Amino acid sequence: MISKYLWKVITIAFPAWLFLTGSVFAHDPVFSPGPHVLFKDGVEIHAGATRDKQDNATEDEQSLAFKYGLTGDWVAGVEIPYERSKDELATQKGVGDITLSTKYRFWRKDTMGAQESAAVLLKLKLDSSGAEVSTDTTDLMLGFTYGYESLKWYRWASVRYRFNQDRGDLQRGDRLFVDMAIGYRPQVHDYRAPDTVLILELNGEIRERNALNGVDIGASGGNQWFVSPGVLWTLRNFAVKAGVQIPVYSNLNGNQPRSDYRASLELEWYL
Amino acid sequence: MKKILMLVLAVSSLGWTTSAFSAEAHYKIRADGLACAYCAYGIEKKFMKIQGVTHFDIDLKKGLVLVTGDENLVLKEQQLKKLFNDAGFTFRKIEEVKIR
Repeated sequence: MISKYLWKVITIAFPAWLFLTGSVFAHDPVFSPGPHVLFKDGVEIHAGATRDKQDNATEDEQSLAFKYGLTGDWVAGVEIPYERSKDELATQKGVGDITLSTKYRFWRKDTMGAQESAAVLLKLKLDSSGAEVSTDTTDLMLGFTYGYESLKWYRWASVRYRFNQDRGDLQRGDRLFVDMAIGYRPQVHDYRAPDTVLILELNGEIRERNALNGVDIGASGGNQWFVSPGVLWTLRNFAVKAGVQIPVYSNLNGNQPRSDYRASLELEWYL
Repeated sequence: MKKILMLVLAVSSLGWTTSAFSAEAHYKIRADGLACAYCAYGIEKKFMKIQGVTHFDIDLKKGLVLVTGDENLVLKEQQLKKLFNDAGFTFRKIEEVKIR
C-alpha cells in the first residue's frame, strides 16, 4: 500500500523537479542552509533522518531528496519525506508532503584555498499528501545565506522566512529562522583521503501566533534558540552529516511543549 | 643463472620500450576556491570526461589541479575557464609539466 503510494508520489514529483530548482544540503551546516550548490549537470542523492523529541511526544522523519545542478551556481531539488509522530494518545504516520527547492548562488569570491559566497533560496512545500501527517497546506519559504569556506575555518549565516498558508478557519503563524555557524577542519588531508569538519551552530526560530477565526490562540507562537554541535565527514563524492540541536532558550507563549532535543543524520552522494 | 640473466634483460628491455614509445602529457592547473575535496569532486568529474585524460588529482594546500593524459591531450585556457566555472570554481593558469 505504502509502496504504491510512494510510487505515485515519485511520478508526480519527478516531472516537477525537472522544472523547478534548489538545494539546501551539500557542504553546508547540518541544521541550516549555506550557499553551497552543485556543479553543472551534477546529481546529488540525499537520504536523511531526523528526530524531534518534545516531552512525551516524538516526531521522526526519513526523507529522500534528489538534486540537479542546472549551472555551476544554480541547483534544483525535490524531497519526499516519510513521517511518523507519536504521543501518549496516538501515532500518525505516512508519506508527507513533497518539497521543491531551488538555490541560486549570486555572488562568489574565490581565492587561494578559500571560497566566499552568497545565495538566495526558495522552498515550496506542496499539499501533495493525503496522509494524516500532512499539514494540508502549501507553504513557501524564502531565504538568504552567506558562507566562507577555507582549508581550516568555515563560517555561515542565514535567514529564512516561511509563509504558512491558512488551513480552513485556522490562520497559521509565519516563521522566521535565523542561523549562524562556524566550522573547523582539524587536519587538511589529501584529495582522496577522508575529511572531517566539526561544526557548531546557533539556530533561532521565531514563530508568530496562530489564530482561529481571527482570534489569537494563547498557546502558540514564541521563540526558541538551539546550540547545535555537528560533524561533516566526507570521502570524495560521499558525505555523512550528523548533529544534535540542544535548546538553550525558549520563550513560547502559553503551555506549549518544549523541545528536549532534535537530531539529524544525513547521507549524500554526488553522481 | 642464465635464466635469471635472460629474465632481467627481458624486463629491462620492456621498460625501455615503454619509456621510449609512450609519451604522457602532464598539466599543473592553478585554481582558486578549492577549500574541500567533496566540493571539488565536480572538477574531477568534468576532467575525466575529456578524451585522453588518464589521471586526476588535486593538491588542496597548493590550490593545484594535476592532470595526466595521453600524448594527444591538449588543454586550452578557454576550455578550462568554462570547465572550472561550471564546477563552481575559478581557473587561474595552466602549465604543462615536462617529465623526462
